[in-house]
Amino acid sequence: MLRLRGLSLRYPNGKLALSDFDLTIAAGEFVVVLGGNGSGKTTLLRCITRTVKPSAGEIRLGEVDLCALEGEKLRRARLALAMIWQHPSLVRRRSVLTNVATGALGRNFTLRTALGGLPGAELDAARSYLAEVGLANLAEQRAGTLSGGQAQRVAIARALAQRPKVLLADEPVASLDPEAAEDIMRLLQRLARAERIAVICVLHQVELAYAYADRVIGIKDGRMVFDLPRGQISREAVHQLYLPEAA
Amino acid sequence: MSLDVASNRVHGAGAQAWRRALNNAVRCVLALLGVAILIQAFIVVQARPQDLVTGIHGMADLIRRAMPPDFSQLPSTFWPTVQTVDIALFGTLVGIVIALPLALLAAANITPSRFAYYAARGIIGFTRAVPDLVWALLFVTAVGLGPFPGGLALGVHSVGMLGRLFAETMEQMDMAPIHALELTGARRIQVFSHGIIPSILPSLLGITLYRLDENIRSSLVLGFVGAGGIGFQLLTAMNLFQYQEVSLLLIIIFVIVLGAERISAGLRERLS
Repeated sequence: MLRLRGLSLRYPNGKLALSDFDLTIAAGEFVVVLGGNGSGKTTLLRCITRTVKPSAGEIRLGEVDLCALEGEKLRRARLALAMIWQHPSLVRRRSVLTNVATGALGRNFTLRTALGGLPGAELDAARSYLAEVGLANLAEQRAGTLSGGQAQRVAIARALAQRPKVLLADEPVASLDPEAAEDIMRLLQRLARAERIAVICVLHQVELAYAYADRVIGIKDGRMVFDLPRGQISREAVHQLYLPEAA
Repeated sequence: MSLDVASNRVHGAGAQAWRRALNNAVRCVLALLGVAILIQAFIVVQARPQDLVTGIHGMADLIRRAMPPDFSQLPSTFWPTVQTVDIALFGTLVGIVIALPLALLAAANITPSRFAYYAARGIIGFTRAVPDLVWALLFVTAVGLGPFPGGLALGVHSVGMLGRLFAETMEQMDMAPIHALELTGARRIQVFSHGIIPSILPSLLGITLYRLDENIRSSLVLGFVGAGGIGFQLLTAMNLFQYQEVSLLLIIIFVIVLGAERISAGLRERLS
């Protein structure tokens, strides 16, 4: 579903943030990316969404190479990519359902949606996505009144409303309590399998990776250190990720 | 050894005393300077308190002639009152229409280009720097006497405050939901109408209500330069020495200003 080949990013100051990254992820696969601070995890996601332009390599999403596209073509191709963050990034003053429905704006460009109206045809779908994340009863509530875990679920429902093929998650549970974190991870795992979405999830919590990931990828200094199925990861290898570079 | 330490301490104490004396001297000079600035203000405005005392008879006479307020004129004040409030409403509306797009360009986190940013900031600053009375005189020259130039003047002058505060509100906004919307593939105008506007609408309304209150007060004064409304009626009554009508108009102005302030404050309270 998503294939990265030789993906590299060199900042203008010469620092190599990502070097020669190869990665293939199939539909329905749940991949967790581990690595220390500044290892390039978030940069990897930002490259995939083309928030920053990689200096080399290709990002194949289905048949198209995102790196070769610009402007409107890139926007269209990117519709298949959804993302969630550590913070749910909801519009706090609008209702939960409205927030979910805005995930569908990208393929519903009409005068009505341009002026702040919701795409009417998407509301039923939005409700079903809310039901899928277990919050159907909160549809009319203001997003600002939700707890952290609930808000993150709404953010996931908004991502679903985008009908993505790939879901990128940048430390989605970093500001949640352990129980809510487990909930979100279970949800992501279930969505990957049930909706056949390829999920790439950057995490700091090693234990969650062991518990939920199909595959775990280790990054250090912008390079992939390992790419293994859950069963084959050695704790030693993970531990090495977080050690400072030997002098 | 102990002698050395002692002499050191004496030396240190001496330096400290010096510094304190210097500080005191600087403070004295600054205080004198402040007093001098205030005194020159009295000289420049040619303040003569004794004139106030000798003039008190004239003022008393004026007040006596203004009493009682001529309430029989009340019906004739109705229309100018409506006009005054409407000039303010119109001006505020025009202000919003101009200020909102300018604010989008003048908010550092949203502006499409540095050039647009500085251009918008420049326009906003200029509309504020030119007083509303001057704008009114300009528009009276352009479109003739009446309430229309008054409304235009308030509108353009409002841009100065509305534009700046709108832009500041946008700059302080939480950008995370905006970036999230951009990444869902929403187009620019959708991001604006679904992300930016809902996030800042209450603040914008609050600012607007505050401006409306201010515009109502300005609208009263604008009548003096021929822009219609109750200010114009006040000027006419004064020129005709109709002091009882003047006192009535002052009462009405007082009610309008106080009413606008209370209503604006009340609505803003409910918003937050």
